[in-house]
Amino acid sequence: MNTLAQKPGLALPHLSPEQRAVLLRLAVLGLLGLALSLAAPAFLTTGNLLNVLRQASLMFLLASGLTLVILCGGLDLSIGANVALSACLAATAIKGTGSIVLGCAVGAGCGLCIGLLNGLMVTALRIPPFIATYGMLWILHGVTYWYMNGETVHGFPPEFRMLGSGYLAAVPVPVYLMLGVLLAGTVLTQYTTWGQEIYATGANTEAAALSGVPVHARRLAVYALSGLMAGLASLVFLARLNSAEGDMGESLTLQAIAAVLIGGTSLFGGTGTLVGTLIGALILTVVLNGMNQLGISANWQPFITGVIVILSVLSDALTRKRHGS
Amino acid sequence: MNIKPTQRAVAFFIAASAASFGAAAQSGEKIAVFTKNQTNPFFQVVRLGADSAAKQMGAVVTHYVPTKPDSIPEQLSQIDDVVIKKPNAIVFTPVDYKAMGAGVLKMNAAGIPVVNITDRSEAGKFVTFVGASDYELGLVTARHLLKTLGGKGNVVILDGVKGSIVSGDRNRGFTDALKEYPQVKLLAAQPGNFQRLQGLQVMENLMQTHPQIDGVLAANDAMAAGAIEALEGANRKALVVGINGTKEAVDAIKAGKMLATGDYNGFLQGCVGTMAAIRELRKLPVPKEVVFKASVIDKTNYQPADIPADKRVCPKWEDAIKG
Repeated sequence: MNTLAQKPGLALPHLSPEQRAVLLRLAVLGLLGLALSLAAPAFLTTGNLLNVLRQASLMFLLASGLTLVILCGGLDLSIGANVALSACLAATAIKGTGSIVLGCAVGAGCGLCIGLLNGLMVTALRIPPFIATYGMLWILHGVTYWYMNGETVHGFPPEFRMLGSGYLAAVPVPVYLMLGVLLAGTVLTQYTTWGQEIYATGANTEAAALSGVPVHARRLAVYALSGLMAGLASLVFLARLNSAEGDMGESLTLQAIAAVLIGGTSLFGGTGTLVGTLIGALILTVVLNGMNQLGISANWQPFITGVIVILSVLSDALTRKRHGS
Repeated sequence: MNIKPTQRAVAFFIAASAASFGAAAQSGEKIAVFTKNQTNPFFQVVRLGADSAAKQMGAVVTHYVPTKPDSIPEQLSQIDDVVIKKPNAIVFTPVDYKAMGAGVLKMNAAGIPVVNITDRSEAGKFVTFVGASDYELGLVTARHLLKTLGGKGNVVILDGVKGSIVSGDRNRGFTDALKEYPQVKLLAAQPGNFQRLQGLQVMENLMQTHPQIDGVLAANDAMAAGAIEALEGANRKALVVGINGTKEAVDAIKAGKMLATGDYNGFLQGCVGTMAAIRELRKLPVPKEVVFKASVIDKTNYQPADIPADKRVCPKWEDAIKG
């Protein structure tokens, strides 16, 4: 990668491949936005942009923890199922006791415990991440379906619903949460030793271990964080939807993975950023928003998502190859 | 939800006590009931209807539900199990009306009488079909909304899963009702895949393009609830209808947030399907098909639908099949 700076002929030679990838994605997002604002008059309005930000923030909260796991060379397929169980437990806790604080503690705590279990399976039992979290997905579905038994729990106090539906100074609350997580996560990953160790573990676990990085502890931590973020996201989903049901997390995992991949984080670990994941979530959200506004059947959304994922991963691969890394 | 362990216990007790009577008991026919998933409240209500019917008529119900919702391979393997266990009769909802045809033929080959409920299977021989007409439900629910709007205004449709028979029929009902009210303008029809979150987000997006939406036709109650959340979040008002007659929709109707829901009548489907199976075994007459008259639940008539399903009892056969 160091070869980059030694090629003076390249445009923007002072940029790292990661910054370059983020800029490329921003350009794609900008082009999408430009095209849509020409085609759909309502696209470029404050109301709609806040609407897009709020929808993207739900996806980003879930995808942020997953980004850390993937950066560290792992994978967490259980996040959607984690959201469903955490939300259902939080919902019944709030309904049963009337305590919002307890409900939030239950949701976040459930998410964290699931994350820790995933981490222990991967580190202590050395089960491959795909298998461990895939198994966890099924276990969580089973527990949630059994617990909910086809029922829906709905109707929560307005103070709790603020978390998902409220506004502060005309900006939706989840958007602040998104910015908070983005800021904290970026500082943690880019400007601390801990963060650099995550990247090092993901890039080459053995080399990292040999140079003294406590790889097991770092891997355990990212799974725990991913679980915690799923637990927190479940609270925002619950507050937004005002309702919990057993299958509420079903489509979320694949969307979160798409946001991470579109955002330029490599499934092989070691490369990627949280900012990228945010842009990925924004691109996915803008596509749906645009299709709804243009009256194109939203059934084409999965197709377009697939195309963007492949193009995005391909473009990174080509860039890296060209720069001989 | 908190009553669930009791239900389980009761079902287990009935099953255990019936098993102890064994084949010697005169009645106590064994009925296997197949439903699509554990996640949709609708099928939970169907199962409770089946339980209630079996209890009334002294039969024993065993439920077969795929652990992965709507899983074709899982339901096929459950059919293999059932064909070996040989219950006296089967009450069957296919997870997929086309793909489960082969499974139905297996049950037919084993000589077990099968009653088809909820979704019509494409292939196989059945004692009878018991269900509601999705087209009629779409039609009467949409008419209710359009009439309440005074025959004018702007509406949007939230469709289910494109290509599913339920969604297609409900959408046809919606659009045929719209033809009867030419002054109502259909602004958009977008799929929300029967999911709450998607219903909510699609509604949020549509509200950005369309400053005036007076009515929302949602193909199920979960999407209707999502649309209501979107409207409240934007501080806008519109009349919303859904379909299925879930407890959640009834609560929203009571609270004045939702106009109406088409009654899919899951409890009655469970009741009549199971009764038909038992009647067939007891050589009592069973009609070729029982399709319930489509009706709409609104603030004038929600009381019966407001009773929790585990506290309802099946009506008499003669009353039930009148619709």
